[in-house]
Amino acid sequence: MADATHSGTGSGAGRGDDGSGVRCVIVTPEMTSLDTRARSVTLPLFDGQRGVARGHSPFIGRLGAGEVRITGEQGGAADAVRRVFVEGGFVEVGHNAVTVITQRAIPAESIDLTQARAEFEKIRGTTATGEDAIAAKMQAEATAREVVRIAERSR
Amino acid sequence: MAKARALDRRRRSVRNIRKITRTMELIATARFKKAMDRSVAARDYTKQLVKILENIASTGADVVHPLLDVRPTTRTAVLVLSGNRGLCGGYNSNIVRQSVAILGQWKSERVDADVAVSGKRGISALKFRGIDIDQRFTEFEDKPSFDAVMPIGRAYLDAYAAGKIDRLDVVYTRFHSIARQEAVTEMLLPLKAPETAGTATAGAVGGAGAPTQLASQEYDFYPSAESILEEILPASFLSRLFKCFLDAAVSEQVARMVAMKAASENAAGLIKNLSRRYNRARQSQITGEIMEILGGVEALKQ
Repeated sequence: MADATHSGTGSGAGRGDDGSGVRCVIVTPEMTSLDTRARSVTLPLFDGQRGVARGHSPFIGRLGAGEVRITGEQGGAADAVRRVFVEGGFVEVGHNAVTVITQRAIPAESIDLTQARAEFEKIRGTTATGEDAIAAKMQAEATAREVVRIAERSR
Repeated sequence: MAKARALDRRRRSVRNIRKITRTMELIATARFKKAMDRSVAARDYTKQLVKILENIASTGADVVHPLLDVRPTTRTAVLVLSGNRGLCGGYNSNIVRQSVAILGQWKSERVDADVAVSGKRGISALKFRGIDIDQRFTEFEDKPSFDAVMPIGRAYLDAYAAGKIDRLDVVYTRFHSIARQEAVTEMLLPLKAPETAGTATAGAVGGAGAPTQLASQEYDFYPSAESILEEILPASFLSRLFKCFLDAAVSEQVARMVAMKAASENAAGLIKNLSRRYNRARQSQITGEIMEILGGVEALKQ
């Protein structure tokens, strides 16, 4: 198993590895907003989703806007899912630890659906001229759409 | 009696002032602790970013990015972080002195400087010295949020990318410890990459012999190391800028705490002195009165 070869270098997880699941940490510029152990973590990479379970090979990836799904959190039900919206950033996977580095992380249940919808409509209502502005608008729109979708799903 | 009463009145007013400074000290202490906690909590993010940067550097990827290019400075930007309030010792005046020094330097080199100032104290002090301020921020108190700092940072990044500025200096108070904070001028743009450079050379030296044990060589990059670098450099700039704001906030609270503690202690000394003088004045007045009575009695006896 992968962790047998990595255990020697073991710099990934600061906390002890208890031999099951992966450690999931979400850090934002203001604080470490989540630090937990879970069975698996699904990440919104820039081009699609990717699931990480124990023994995943190490990688560093760019994230898009989307939800991090943490399944089977320690101390909870085996199929309980915790969803956290992240807005871009990076992920580092290695040594059975998933570290999400993002500018913004919001737990899905604390997104206000009406507010998210209003935000989405507001962005859709604006007109952008020029290549950069259009690209920025497209991205903002995609992000807002993602927020609405996550809020709808977690209701 | 007049003198004793005047002394008593002064003593009472000093006591009231001590109450105020003591309260301010306690508030500053509480705010300092909170600000410190935030600053500590923010360290993880920087640490993780640095870790990824190191990993990228040690893959041997060329660390080339517009934000790392050093260009001849023809137009520069200076961001000054001061406090909104006074009563914090030399905190604001140190910042103002530091920023006047750097602005004077740019002026003598005939470089246009775009000046942005955060904090009412800094704004008024620099205005008084006849410095044109292009941007003012007064919304940053003891808890700067990343969401508030981000637009400022983004604006600087865009200006740098568009070639409107060639350099960004931030004047702020760096927090070393509770006993030591200093006003510093730090260059944030172009980005220095000391961490990456350090590990890159270390990797190169080690790599000459046996393959080194660098953890990064195990990593895959999605989509590629270059693309991640492109994204991570702005992020690391923003986090460094944010750290400046956090440091400034922490330092301000420490400065206020120390200043108010000194003020309270000074007030205590004043009160002691005044009490002594008051008691002496009262005593000498009583003595005087007794002498008068005795004098009267002696006069009546005759």
